[in-house]
Amino acid sequence: MASNRFAGMLLLVPATFICPALFGAGPSYFRDVRPIIQRQCQGCHQPNIKSSNLDLTSYEGFQAGGQHGPGVTTLLGYITGEIRPRMPLGQPPLPVDQIQLIREWIAAGAKDDTPVEAREDLAVDKPIVYTQPPVINALAFSADGKKLAVSGNREILIHSLDGAEPPRRLPGLSDRILSLVFSKDGSTLVAAGGTASRFGEVQIWDVASGKLKRSLTLTGDTVFGASLSPDASKVAVGCTDNSVRIVDAAGGKELFKIGNHENWVLGTIFGVDGKRIVSVGRDRAAKLTDATSGAFLENVNLLRGELAAIARHPTKDVVVIGGEDRVPYIYMMDRAQNMKIADDSTLIRKLERQDGSIAALAWSADGAHIAVGGASPEVTIYDAETGKRTAACKGHQAGIYAVAFSPDGQTLATGGFDGEVRLYRVATGELAKEFIPVPITENLRSQK
Amino acid sequence: MRFSITLLVATSLFGAAEAPKVNFVRDVAPVLNKAGCMSGTCHGAAKGKDGFKLSLRGYDPQFDYEALLYDLGGRRFNRADPGRSLMLTKPTQQVAHGGGMRFEINSDYYKIIYNWIAQGVPYGDPAKDSVKSLDVEPKEIFMEKPGGTTTVKIVATFNDGGTRDVTREANIDSNIPDVAAVGDKADIKGARMGEATLLVRYQGKFTSVPVTILNPAPGFAWKQVPQNNYIDQLIDAKLQRLKIQPSGLVDDAGFLRRASLDLTGQLPDPNEVRAFVADTTPAKLKRSRLIEKLIASPAFIDHWTLKWGDLLQANRKYLGEKGVYEFDEWIRESFTANKPYDKMVREILSSSGSSNQNPAANFFRVTRDPKPTMEKTTQVFLGVRMVCAQCHDHPFERWTQNQYYEMSAFYSALGIRPGYEVGEEIIYNQRADFDMKHPKDGRVMKPAFIVPASYGSSGPVPTDSHRRMALAEWVTSRDNPFFAKSTVNRVWSYFFGRGIIDPVDDIRASNPPSNPALLDALTKDFLDHNFDLRQLMRTITNSRTYQAGMTTNEWNAGDADNFSHAIPRRLAAEELLDALTLATGVRPNLPEVPPDTRAEQLPDPHVGKDGFLDLFGRPSRESSCECERRSDISLPQALNLVNGQTISDAVAGGNGRVAKAILSGKSDRDLVEELYLASFSRTPTAAEAELGLKYLSSGSRGRAALAQDLLWALVNSKPFLYNY
Repeated sequence: MASNRFAGMLLLVPATFICPALFGAGPSYFRDVRPIIQRQCQGCHQPNIKSSNLDLTSYEGFQAGGQHGPGVTTLLGYITGEIRPRMPLGQPPLPVDQIQLIREWIAAGAKDDTPVEAREDLAVDKPIVYTQPPVINALAFSADGKKLAVSGNREILIHSLDGAEPPRRLPGLSDRILSLVFSKDGSTLVAAGGTASRFGEVQIWDVASGKLKRSLTLTGDTVFGASLSPDASKVAVGCTDNSVRIVDAAGGKELFKIGNHENWVLGTIFGVDGKRIVSVGRDRAAKLTDATSGAFLENVNLLRGELAAIARHPTKDVVVIGGEDRVPYIYMMDRAQNMKIADDSTLIRKLERQDGSIAALAWSADGAHIAVGGASPEVTIYDAETGKRTAACKGHQAGIYAVAFSPDGQTLATGGFDGEVRLYRVATGELAKEFIPVPITENLRSQK
Repeated sequence: MRFSITLLVATSLFGAAEAPKVNFVRDVAPVLNKAGCMSGTCHGAAKGKDGFKLSLRGYDPQFDYEALLYDLGGRRFNRADPGRSLMLTKPTQQVAHGGGMRFEINSDYYKIIYNWIAQGVPYGDPAKDSVKSLDVEPKEIFMEKPGGTTTVKIVATFNDGGTRDVTREANIDSNIPDVAAVGDKADIKGARMGEATLLVRYQGKFTSVPVTILNPAPGFAWKQVPQNNYIDQLIDAKLQRLKIQPSGLVDDAGFLRRASLDLTGQLPDPNEVRAFVADTTPAKLKRSRLIEKLIASPAFIDHWTLKWGDLLQANRKYLGEKGVYEFDEWIRESFTANKPYDKMVREILSSSGSSNQNPAANFFRVTRDPKPTMEKTTQVFLGVRMVCAQCHDHPFERWTQNQYYEMSAFYSALGIRPGYEVGEEIIYNQRADFDMKHPKDGRVMKPAFIVPASYGSSGPVPTDSHRRMALAEWVTSRDNPFFAKSTVNRVWSYFFGRGIIDPVDDIRASNPPSNPALLDALTKDFLDHNFDLRQLMRTITNSRTYQAGMTTNEWNAGDADNFSHAIPRRLAAEELLDALTLATGVRPNLPEVPPDTRAEQLPDPHVGKDGFLDLFGRPSRESSCECERRSDISLPQALNLVNGQTISDAVAGGNGRVAKAILSGKSDRDLVEELYLASFSRTPTAAEAELGLKYLSSGSRGRAALAQDLLWALVNSKPFLYNY
C-alpha cells in the first residue's frame, strides 16, 4: 500500500525521536541534511510550488532534481553561489558548517539513510488510539441503510446502526478523510482526503471484505468533495491545485485533470447520466464540465461568495450549492435560453439564509428533502419542492462538516467540529441517537 | 460559535500532570503573533496568504480562532493527534511552508500550541484573559554615552489581575534604530547620541520608553544665551540636559529674510534690508517691531490663506471655479479678521446650506462621503490619522476599527445635493436611512468620540440627523486633547521646518513630542489667548530659539530635533517664484489671473498647472496630508533652474532689475550690491563684491549680458534657494 514513491511522506516523526545510534559517524541525510533542506529550501521547492520544477520535500525529489539537473549535481553549486542565483533566494547564505555538511554528504555518495520506522508508522494491527474525538468530516450510509461510515483520524469507522457489532475500522494512509461515498449497489466505498500540505488520496474499499482495493495518491494536498458517477465507474475529486481530477474507480488510474477553476475546488457532483460534472470552489464558481472529455461547458451560477458544498437531486440535473454567503441556491444544470452576461436564469430557488457559512449539503434519495449544515450548530432540513423549512435539528455544540440522508430518507446523520455523530428523524428533526464514533482512551499519550 | 470539549480529560505532550492550562486568548494568540504568522506580509495580509487569513497582528482573536479551527473542515488542527496538526507541522517546517521555519519542534512555543490542542482548544474568557495593561522596566533609558547596552523587562497584567513576563513575546520597535537599536532578546543598544522612543506592543496594548544617549565628549559647560520668552526657557532646559549648546542669534539681515519668508512668504525688498540693518534700535525691540509689521501686512494674509487652502483642499477639481474662489475668499476673510481658530473650524464643521451662500461648506464638497470626511477632519484639525483603522485596529495606536466607524457615524447623515445655480451644492442633514454600519456584520454604529471631551451642551452624544454638530463642538472644545495641541504643533513646524511632534499630522503614542513641556506650554498659551493664531506666531517668532543662526558649534552640530540652531529649508514653490520675481524684477507669466498676481495669491493649483510651481512641489490639494507639499530636491528642479524658461526669461527680462539698473546709470559696485540685496537679502561680502566687479568688467558681451549672468548665478545658488 505504501509504495515508496511516498517514502518522504510519513516523516512526521520528528528526527529527535529516532535513536541517534542508528546513524553512522559521517553526515546523515535523515539526521543532518534533511533538517537543513526542510528549513531552508522547502518553502519554494515543494509540490505545490515546485520552483524550477524541483521538489525537495523528499529524497526522491532531491534525486530527480528540477529543470537545472539532479540535486546531486546542482544543490551545492546553488547554496555556495557558484551557480547563480545563490540559494536560498533573497535570504542570507547558509552557514559554512551547514554547507560543509552537505558537501561531505554528497561526497560520501548522497545516500538516503532514512530509517524504516520513520518511513512507516502506520500498521493495521496497531489501531489508532484516541484521547479526544476527531472532527467529523465525512459520513455515508450503506446502501441498505444499516451501516454508517464515519471519518476518523487516519481511518474510516463503519458502524452498525443496530449496535450489533463493534465498528469495523479501515486504516489508511491519509490523516484526514474528507468525503465518503458508497456505490449504489453497496459493494464499494470511496473515501477521499489526504494529509494536509503533503498529499491527497482516493481510497477504494471493498465493503464486504473490508479490504482496500485501490489507493491513488495525487496532488500535494488533501482532495475535497469526492463524488461517484451513477454507474460507479468514475470518481471525481476537487483539488488544491484548482483542478478537478477524474479517476477510474476500477483501475485506480487518473483519467482527466480539469483545470477550469481559479482557486481550490471543494465539491463535485456528476449529472444524472454521468456525462457531465458540476464542481464548486473557493473561486465562487459552480462550473459545468463534460466528464468524458474534460471540456468546460459553462458556469452554472452567478458568482457570489466562495462555494464549499454541492448536492444533486436523485433523478434530475438540478443541484444545490452553498458556501460563504450562507444561502443555499438550487440551480438547473441546463438552461432554457441562451446565456447572457450576469445571467441568473437557471436559478430555481434560494433557500433560507443560514446562521453561518455552509459547509455540507445533502439531497435525500426520494428527492423530497435538502439538508444544510455549516458554521451554525443547527442543521436545517427543507422541502426541496417548496423551499420551506421542515425541520431544525438541534444538539450539536459547534459547526457541522458532514450531513447524510439514509437511503430510505427517514434519517439524517450529521457530524462536525464537536466530534459526535447525531442521527435525526427527517420528518420532525427529533434527535434519535448520538454517539462518539471512535473509542476514547483517557490520558494515554504523554510522551517525554 | 466557540466550543471546547470539557468532558474529556485533557492530555498533553511534555508531562500530562504538570502541563499548564492554556487558552487561545492568553497563551496561543501571543505566540502566533510573535512567530510572525499575523504579520502584514504573511497571513495577516488583507487577503491572507495562500488561502489562510488571520487578522493583522492578531487584533481580532475571535476571527483568528475561527480561521484556525473551523476553516475547511478543521483542516489546520488535529485534536486526535495534536502533533500532526497543520498549525504545528507548517511552522516547524515538517511540511513545506512558504513562510519558512517559525519555531522548533519541542520549543516552548510548540509546546504551548500542542498542549492547547491536546486540551481541546479552549478559547479562554476575554474578561479574564485579555491584557489590561503593560508595564516596562525601566520606564526611561538614559545613557551617558553611546555604546551602552541595557535590557527591558515587560510585564503584562491580565483582566483577572494575573501577571506574566512577556518580554520575549512583546514587540519592541525603536523609532530611530541608529540611535537606539533593539536586539533579539529585548536588549537595547545605544548606537549614537540622540533621542529615540521604544514602542512596546503586546496583544493590542502599547506603551513607550524614551531613550536618551548623551554626547560623551568631555568639557561641556553650558553657556547661557539670552532668553526672550518661555519658549527659550523650555528649549534650554532640554538642551542643557542633553549637553547641547544652542547657537547664537542670526544677524539682522538674516532675521529679516527669515521672518519675511516665514510670516509672509515674500523676500524683503533691497531698501527694506538696508533700512532694517541700518536701524540702531536694540535688536530685540527692532525684531519685535518687524514681526508686528509683517503680521499686519497684506502678504501675511495671502501667505496663511495659501497654507489653509492647502489643508482644506481648495481645489476647483472638487469645487468648480466659483466654489474655489469663494472658499479661498472665505479663508482669506477669516485670516484678515484674525478669527479665533476654534471659531473658524467650528464654522467649517457646522456649515450647511448653499455652498455659494456659506462658502465654508465647500469643506464637505471635497471628500463628500462620511468616512473620508471623518479622516480629513481628524487629520487636519486634530493631527490624528484614523485611516488605518478602517480595515483593522490601528497597529501603532489604540484606535480600533469600531472607533473608526463610530467617528465616521458623525457624518453619516451628511447629505449633498445639487443647488439651484450652476456649480452650487446644498449641504444638508439627511432625515432617514443615514445609519453608519460596520462592514463586518452590518451592525449600526452609534456616533462616539475617540476620547472624551466636552462639546457644549454636555450630555449623551446625539444620534439624530444633527449629530455632526456635536462633532464640531467636540473637535473645537478647549479640553479636546488634540485640537489646540495639534494646531500649535503644526504652526510651529511652519517656522522650523519640523514639528515638536513630527510628522505634524500623525500624532500617536509611537510618535512622541521631542519637547513635551514646550508643546504643553504653547498649547496653554494658545488657549489663554483664545485660539489667536497671530499671537501664537508672534510668540514663536519673538523667541531666541526662532531667531537662532544656522551656524553650529561642536555641541549642537549633530542635533536636528531640539531646535538648537536653524536648519535651512528650501523655499516652497510659491515662495520661490515670488522670490524670483523680486530678485529679477520680472513677474513670470501666470495664466488666468491678473498680471500682478503673486504665486502666493493663487486660488488653487489649477493655475499654472504642471509648470514651475508643480515642479517645485506645490501640493495638488487632492489630499489633506501635510506631506503633499514636497520640499525635496530633484534633478529636474536643478535642470530647470539652470536651463529653464522661467529663470532665463526672468533674468533677461527687458523691464527687469538688471535693465532698470543699467538704464538708471548705476555703477558696477552699486549694481552688484543691488543684485545681492535682491536675491540674498544682504550686501555682498568684500570678496563677493570683488568677484562680481571682476566679472562685470570681463569679456566683450556688454554690461547687461554680464550682469544678467551674475544674477543667474545668484538665483542658482543656495543662499537664494533656501530659507535659513
